[in-house]
Amino acid sequence: MRPYELTLAEAAEAIAARELSPVELTDSVLRRVESVEGRLNAYVTVLAEAARRAAVRAERDIAAGRHLGPLHGIPMGIKDLIDVAGLPTKAGSRVRESAPVADRDSTVASRLRAAGAVLLGKTHTHEFAYGLTTPRTRNAWAHDRVAGGSSGGSAVAVAAGEATFALGTDTGGSIRVPAALSGVVGLKPTYGLVPVRGVTPLSRSLDHVGPITRTVEDAGLVLEALIGGAGDTASPAGGSLAGLRVGVPRNHYFDRVHPEVEEAVRAAIDVLGALGAELVGVDIPMSEYLQATQWGLMVPEATAYHQRTLRTSPELYSDDVRTLLEAGGLVPAGDYLRARWSRTLMRDAWTRLFETVDVVAAPTVPATAAHRDQRTIPWPDGSEESVSDAYVRLSAPANITGLPALTLPVGADSAGLPIGMQLIGRPFAEATVVRTGRAYEAAHAPGPGERGRGLPPHATAAHSAAPTGAMSLR
Amino acid sequence: MPTTPDLLPHEVARWAQRAGLPLEPGRLDLVTATANHIQAVIAVLRELDPGEAAPAPAYPARRGVEEGRDDAAV
Repeated sequence: MRPYELTLAEAAEAIAARELSPVELTDSVLRRVESVEGRLNAYVTVLAEAARRAAVRAERDIAAGRHLGPLHGIPMGIKDLIDVAGLPTKAGSRVRESAPVADRDSTVASRLRAAGAVLLGKTHTHEFAYGLTTPRTRNAWAHDRVAGGSSGGSAVAVAAGEATFALGTDTGGSIRVPAALSGVVGLKPTYGLVPVRGVTPLSRSLDHVGPITRTVEDAGLVLEALIGGAGDTASPAGGSLAGLRVGVPRNHYFDRVHPEVEEAVRAAIDVLGALGAELVGVDIPMSEYLQATQWGLMVPEATAYHQRTLRTSPELYSDDVRTLLEAGGLVPAGDYLRARWSRTLMRDAWTRLFETVDVVAAPTVPATAAHRDQRTIPWPDGSEESVSDAYVRLSAPANITGLPALTLPVGADSAGLPIGMQLIGRPFAEATVVRTGRAYEAAHAPGPGERGRGLPPHATAAHSAAPTGAMSLR
Repeated sequence: MPTTPDLLPHEVARWAQRAGLPLEPGRLDLVTATANHIQAVIAVLRELDPGEAAPAPAYPARRGVEEGRDDAAV
């Protein structure tokens, strides 16, 4: 196995044992970037020389006995919505084309720096995180499919071996959707657990920041660093789930879901049952108000943040984002307040739901990655839904309620496209969610080097036309 | 519940001006259609009776909800 294929935990263990140096690992990942980036376009900027220098420093420090922990010397990408000192935050937009460099790190960048992680570069986002596809980036498993969004660059970088882990942000599913469509793990923590200072807002009352990784174990390790080592998600996983009550939704989460997605997720839930969890049918509260609440909060909040540039340079936004932002100025304040009421009621109802179960398990997205030019998804009941609405539908509840939600890969459809299962927990119960995901992984996921675990077959020449949006090598 | 009447493009132009975000004339049809769609989605919230619920500005980030802990706010 080549170093770029290692999970974070495997790489950290090899580094701690002096079997692998941060320089070897970083060089391996950078070679992988050179090899596949032209087809995938996950990065806005790759800081190859700076990364090598950081890896050399990490190697020297570790050799001198100053080992900072599992992230020390691990190469990673940061979504270009998150400030990193000395780099511009372009947020995927021409509005930020001439943006000055950030004068200080966001809290999360600062914490990763303190943990010794090696920054490889900034990854592509859907413009200002206001979309679910990340048009500049291609899906790592099929280049004619969307990466998902808005953290599409981060998810593809991790899926393709172009980063050992990455950071994303999530306002309506923007960590979990691209992670699920890319066959990797994404963790949206409890609202407020991971600071968003230095992260460009989409809708501050719904915004979250969190890790995208190749395994659930890795997500727990990154989360620990993001919260300053104050959590308990990096502890060893036990195999049994005896005593755990897993809620299986009777409504909403399996409505208008592609049959192959439903089959894979139900099979994964059965694995949780076989591991000792008690499977309990649950009714998702207020499901008829989910989309209204998500939109009623996000749309006016996004417009409010962008009001200044909407006045001065609206032509610099892409058309889809500009239209949403302009239309968002027309949402009545009364409806915004109703959305906030609805969030309170929904949160209370989910609290009651979690008196009967410890985790809710469900699909992350109702369909696998759409074609890049696809606008709608047809459902067997004859209805059609926009791709974005479909992708947000199952992830938005955890944004509205603030509950922690993890996606992990549980299979593929007949076209070989990844399928994700979502595990939602109580507030600040990241450890429970991670433990559940790790138990599934240990029982079901292929081990190191085994077929099925690894990276997508990028070497295929099909769909390899160079994507738009140039990466700069610095 | 009564349906919400759609706005017409000239009304959208006026509302947008009132909101401090004036629209270019060439964008009125597109923004009108989008604004009416958004309104159709969120109008269902008017069915809700909030009772005494507070219109929460955001999820209160507080540890201790699980496992009975009551340690400090994050």
